[in-house]
Amino acid sequence: MLILTRRPGERVVIGEEILVTVMGVSGHTVRLGIAAPQGIPIYREEIWLAVMEENRAAAAAHADALPAEPPAPEQTSPQAVSPEPSGESAQEQPTDPPAAH
Amino acid sequence: MSVTFQSIRFGAVEIQDEDVIEFPFGLIGLGGLRYALIDRNPGTGFLWLHAVDDPALALPVVSPYQFFATFSLQIAAEDRERTGIENAAPEHLYVTVRATPNPLDITANLRAPLIIAERLGYQVINTNEDAELQAPLFTLPTQSQIAS
Repeated sequence: MLILTRRPGERVVIGEEILVTVMGVSGHTVRLGIAAPQGIPIYREEIWLAVMEENRAAAAAHADALPAEPPAPEQTSPQAVSPEPSGESAQEQPTDPPAAH
Repeated sequence: MSVTFQSIRFGAVEIQDEDVIEFPFGLIGLGGLRYALIDRNPGTGFLWLHAVDDPALALPVVSPYQFFATFSLQIAAEDRERTGIENAAPEHLYVTVRATPNPLDITANLRAPLIIAERLGYQVINTNEDAELQAPLFTLPTQSQIAS
């Protein structure tokens, strides 16, 4: 593994198109700015690993693994609730601090 | 025009051309660029997202809104930039399902939903803090977290 020492404001260039900037350091937290071509997915590692694990577990299902009929009513979560979302359900609300770009 | 692909689970599956969904980035950790949604369990709400080019690659999915009344999607900033999608209509949203023999153990991944629209599909990260990685699909009412 290549290990580099950088100060806030300094950058690392990966290849021709990926630019990683150290935005700031605060205690044990480092803020990175990542500029990359639009087609390159960028994930926090722990989320990427967790989603990969869920995807693989889902893909391991056998053809008959799903309930053949809806479960008994007393065990269902609120299916009676309308699938219509509330007005804000599907809206994006970017509370996540931008890690990139 | 129709397309027939092979499935180790379901044998030959025939779909229409327009049913092919392109996932430009695949699914995280799985790849697969072309999928189709097929309904092998009518009436249950479960669909299979099946790779067209890989007979073994298929995932059960459901609409999050059918099972999770409070589901809410906040698309991560990097995903909005990557996909160009700012917002997703409820009918275009799916979540992957981890199937188990006991229905009470079946979970859905609300953290990384799929947006499928206009024959294009993306798996995005839901930054809503309430979005569980393993949300039980069926819970006893007294234990229900999602109905509260």
